[in-house]
Amino acid sequence: MEDDKLMYIHPAPVRVWHWVNAVGFVILIITGIQIRFAEMVDWFSLEEAIQLHNYVGFVVIAIYGLWVSYYFGTMKIKLYFPNPRAFVPNAIKQIRYYGSGIFKGEPNPHHMTPDNKFNVLQKNAYVGIMFVFLPAQMITGLFLWRVKRFENYIELIGGIKIVSTIHVLLFFFFTAFIFVHVYLATLGHTPLAHFKAMFTGYEEHHEPEEA
Amino acid sequence: MKINYCFLVGVCIAILGSGLIAANVYAIENDECMECHSDDSLERSESEGMKEDLYIDYNTFKYSVHNVNGITCIDCHSDIEELNWDNEVPHPVSLAMVDCGGCHEEEAEAYVDSVHKKAGGKGITIPCYACHGYHFVTHLEADSVYERENKFCLKCHNPDNFHEWLPQKDTHFAFVECAVCHAPDSPRYISLRFYDLISKKFLSGKDLLAALDTDYENFMGKLDQDKDDVISLQELEDMVLLLRQKDVRGTFHGELVLELVPTVHHINRGGANRECEQCHNPQSPFFEEVYITLNKEDGTGQRQKVERRVLESYYVNHFYAIGGTRVRYLDKIGLVLIVGGLSVVAGHLLVRVATAPARRKRKGKKDQFSI
Repeated sequence: MEDDKLMYIHPAPVRVWHWVNAVGFVILIITGIQIRFAEMVDWFSLEEAIQLHNYVGFVVIAIYGLWVSYYFGTMKIKLYFPNPRAFVPNAIKQIRYYGSGIFKGEPNPHHMTPDNKFNVLQKNAYVGIMFVFLPAQMITGLFLWRVKRFENYIELIGGIKIVSTIHVLLFFFFTAFIFVHVYLATLGHTPLAHFKAMFTGYEEHHEPEEA
Repeated sequence: MKINYCFLVGVCIAILGSGLIAANVYAIENDECMECHSDDSLERSESEGMKEDLYIDYNTFKYSVHNVNGITCIDCHSDIEELNWDNEVPHPVSLAMVDCGGCHEEEAEAYVDSVHKKAGGKGITIPCYACHGYHFVTHLEADSVYERENKFCLKCHNPDNFHEWLPQKDTHFAFVECAVCHAPDSPRYISLRFYDLISKKFLSGKDLLAALDTDYENFMGKLDQDKDDVISLQELEDMVLLLRQKDVRGTFHGELVLELVPTVHHINRGGANRECEQCHNPQSPFFEEVYITLNKEDGTGQRQKVERRVLESYYVNHFYAIGGTRVRYLDKIGLVLIVGGLSVVAGHLLVRVATAPARRKRKGKKDQFSI
């Protein structure tokens, strides 16, 4: 491996956010399952599960603050927004790659660079996740943490059950997302390449088979 | 002087008989008591400069459950046998403590072995009326959790001081009556009340019935289509639809309250239910009994049984116990999402593995050409 084949793709704040968020998500999912399905699983007491869920929820909210500060502070946030003109053709190319080209050994139509690290589908997905789904999950989680304190806001949304429904549906979505996300991360030039890059910050530049 | 014993016996019988007749005919009426006790300045001095208010507000008293049921002043203050108007105070100045247990036997029995009664040994006396009040006892069954708690537990206890361990204690205090956990032997139920989103208040039973064009007697006849004496989810939907047609838009608020049975008095230190899973699981017995409460002006309420499944519906938007009243079909959506995600992963991986030899072959050929 030569140095000129390494690209610094994931700056330190992003890596810190990513891994804290990842561990946080796993704990939130496990404790979430215990809280929702207390009659089926017995990993913790409900009291412990709720307390852990609450603490970790705040860690995830705080670390999201780091992500927002970094990306908006450096204006690298534009990484997340696809070019509207090229969106459709690029999306078709990328879908074709994941649905067929990848099986034939064709190169990934997206070439990762520090300024353009996401393909068009990733951009689309992450804009939705980071700007809609994750904030919605954090806000509804906050409301569920102190129902009485936020009762006026809960009322605006339509009641505690609506708030809970949003939180639960997003919980299922994020659980499914993690499986898909981890799988997609194995589509690098080696199955562990993207995982390694998320620790070191450096992606190796290889033409074929990139996720 | 010769005493005619027969005459004397006759006189005694006559006096006793007339006394008995007089007791019946001239029993002390509430009006007589009120001659003095309607004076709002009436009070008596106690030790250490304390004063006891002896005023009875008759307008309130007349709606008290005892008066409504024909219980008079002297039925409770039974040591007043006669009124002697020649005295400044026409009855004994110091009266005996009212013995509520004389009528409320089961309640008194449950109370004997309770923390409140036992507190008596520590120099404190907690008689019934310390919680229930003296002369203005009203029905509680249609009361909300707030009303029940304000009238009783919160008079002495500050729950904030003892529930640090309880997640969302404010929410629990708002939706769960104290004794639901503290008197775990007593049956409890979910009381649903209709909250009008336009007037922003709970509709009284009378108003709700008026909006439905019915009355207390015909309420079930109108709603309970299958005549099983239970309002099903479908029947509740029909009811909401009927209300919407009358421009009444709202939602049902739920609260977990106790059946007012004698065992509610059997509260003991360390006896409270602290196991969250008792309540927060879908098989919890706490949610088995669900009723719509139609309150009446006298404080009583007419309760109509409702299918438990309504708690999982969006018609009861403001009552949600994690795990306990969860919306089941969300779990099905969740299952589809997760199984769908895993299937996509598994399918894609499978095709990748299956096509790996072809890719290797293709790569080999490419390398050959490039050599």
